[in-house]
Amino acid sequence: MSAYMVSERDAKKLKPSLTAGLIFVLGIVAVLIGQISLNMVLTQDAYQLRALKIEKQSLATDVQIIQEEVSSLSSPQNLADAANMLGMIANPASVMLDIESDKIYGKPSPARAEGSAVASANLVANSALGTVSEFSMATVAAGELEVSVATSKLATSGLVLKSGLIPASPTR
Amino acid sequence: MGTHAKLSRRLGAFAVILFLMVAALGFRLVDFQVVRAAEIQKTSLETRKLTQTISSLRGDILDSSGQILAKTVLRYDVNAAPKRVGPVFQTIDGVRTERSVDEIALDLSQLLGLDYRELILKLAGDSEYANLAKTVNAETYNAIRGMNVPWIFFDQFEDRLYPMGAVAGNVLGFVGSDGTPLAGLERQYNTCLAGIDGQETFERSSDGVRIPTSNLTTQPTENGGALNLTIDANLQFFAQQVLADTVSSLSAQWASAIVLDVETGKILAAAEAPTVDPNDPAAVVSADRGSRIFQAAFEPGSIMKALSAAMVLDTGTASEYDTVNAPDRMQLDFDNEYIKDSFSHEDYTLSLAGVLRYSSNTGMTKFASQIDRKVRYDYLQKFGFGTVSPLRFEGESSGILHPVSEWDEMTNLVTTFGQGISVTSLQMAYAYQAIANGGVRLDPLLVESCLNEDGTIAFAPTQEATRVVSTASANLDLELLEKVVEFGGVGKTAAIPGYRVAGKTGTGQLKAGSGYGEEYAISFYGIAPAEDPKFVVGITIYKPEGVSNSAGATPPFKAIMQQALKHYRIPPSTTESRSVPSNKFGEVDEND
Repeated sequence: MSAYMVSERDAKKLKPSLTAGLIFVLGIVAVLIGQISLNMVLTQDAYQLRALKIEKQSLATDVQIIQEEVSSLSSPQNLADAANMLGMIANPASVMLDIESDKIYGKPSPARAEGSAVASANLVANSALGTVSEFSMATVAAGELEVSVATSKLATSGLVLKSGLIPASPTR
Repeated sequence: MGTHAKLSRRLGAFAVILFLMVAALGFRLVDFQVVRAAEIQKTSLETRKLTQTISSLRGDILDSSGQILAKTVLRYDVNAAPKRVGPVFQTIDGVRTERSVDEIALDLSQLLGLDYRELILKLAGDSEYANLAKTVNAETYNAIRGMNVPWIFFDQFEDRLYPMGAVAGNVLGFVGSDGTPLAGLERQYNTCLAGIDGQETFERSSDGVRIPTSNLTTQPTENGGALNLTIDANLQFFAQQVLADTVSSLSAQWASAIVLDVETGKILAAAEAPTVDPNDPAAVVSADRGSRIFQAAFEPGSIMKALSAAMVLDTGTASEYDTVNAPDRMQLDFDNEYIKDSFSHEDYTLSLAGVLRYSSNTGMTKFASQIDRKVRYDYLQKFGFGTVSPLRFEGESSGILHPVSEWDEMTNLVTTFGQGISVTSLQMAYAYQAIANGGVRLDPLLVESCLNEDGTIAFAPTQEATRVVSTASANLDLELLEKVVEFGGVGKTAAIPGYRVAGKTGTGQLKAGSGYGEEYAISFYGIAPAEDPKFVVGITIYKPEGVSNSAGATPPFKAIMQQALKHYRIPPSTTESRSVPSNKFGEVDEND
């Protein structure tokens, strides 16, 4: 004979529902999966943030390198040396055109190397000079040739930099 | 005992145990969550939390057109962990390659400019740290980082870069290797340039990754302000080029050139040779690391006559037509003293312009000594002598202007032609600025402003104007000074084709023991265009070898003034100077 603490009918009622159990378990699983997913997303973002920060730092370093290169090339010391290498001489004479009154001030006179009070090559120290203008003899010679034949073709000579070629101004 | 009763007892025991367990857990829970909650949270946060200092960037120093004279850049120390040194394996395009230590060391030695054997020695050992190179630039850092060598690591720090080197190096000053400002404007304006370091706190997970949204800025970073100067870097460079050439050709101890904007009182160039490259201050001796324009006082000599002439005119002591008899040697009636001119000549009859043209000491003494000494002393003070300028440049000299009560008979006379007084180039240039500016001396300006990072003005200097002589006296003095450049022996070499130039030569004999020796400070201070003055250029050349007149000072004056006129597009003069008596007979020169 079976012994029941409750009636058979009640016991049947109390029998756990499989559906409810499944819902409970699935609910827990869903919550866990959600939590893991959220965690993964957050962690992923953290790693992405870190990667982007590293990239930003790397780009900032690149910018600094380029800025230093530009600073060096545009420094008066480099420009003076570059001009000197190209045989340029500063002309101290001022000649000005007043467009409004159609007047010319001063008398034009050619620059003379022997009359120049200023050394054209650089004399001012700059230990921060890194990249400097370099001239290949071939390109300078090509430029001179063009001038001598008075061609209107754009100059092919240029300042040859370590980092590439800056085209010379077509102005003669 | 029935089954039911047994079951009930077991159930009761289970319930008691369950209750006790729950109670115990509840107790712990309350203990952790309520009683010790704050303490536990604090401990937990401390293990996760990291506080980091965010360095502020020191501000830039810029010239009048915004060109950068000083900036902050990142530099790197390259270090290695010798204990971990070994070959490096890399997979490139699916191919696994090995780079030996020797290969890496060879590349490193080339990048760092080190001797290969020296580098290998540094990489040997059992330590975790060995410095391979200090203060490498970003390019080298990038190249080494690109080698992906796990046993090489870097220390990053901020460094000061002066992209134009020694251009204005004398006024910029420099900072030490630890970033401490040591000289010049870097030190004087440190409160403007230095920023305030920030602090940031964040939490990190056990694997060291920052936990998002955990950032907390406890101290915001404030970068330093930008210091804008009145200096024009291009003109400054040009002047330095000229001076370097001058010092070399005259074998002088040093030379300085100051260029002022007459109307605003701004210093456009304060050039010196020799001078310092702030990137490498140790390359020059300490005497060359400052600025002599502000710090060195010298006996000016005849350049003072331009100011004495202004006093004569302003007090109405004489007009441009009055003359004096000017011998080359004048015996004085005390202590057997005498005053003489720099060259032998018969007695001249000189007007004020003639005194300036021939730079006659005797003539100037006769004109200016008619003015009461106290009045002249007051004029000298109003011209700015004897006091430090409002610039308060570090180590700035006040020069020496003895109180009038201490002037002996000789000092009373010789101050009229620039002896018994010492001045700085800055003071003399601003005295000439007063003459050029209708008799009103402006306070010198070297710093235009200090701008905060957001562009607001943190500091802008104030400027005061001092009326020294009347406009009429100043303008007349300018006309007289034109005769120096038109007819003066040395003065003529300062003439600039197309422009009316006024100026005065000076040959200050330097003291040697109790008297004067055979060394000089030669100078030329000039103004152009004379009819509408724009610039004052003052040249001082100290101890040129074997030079006893100011002929060496006019070529640099001419070159720098000409460059300033051209650079600022000042049109050539369209008028002629007025005819004024200036020859040795007290008459108008036949060529005038």
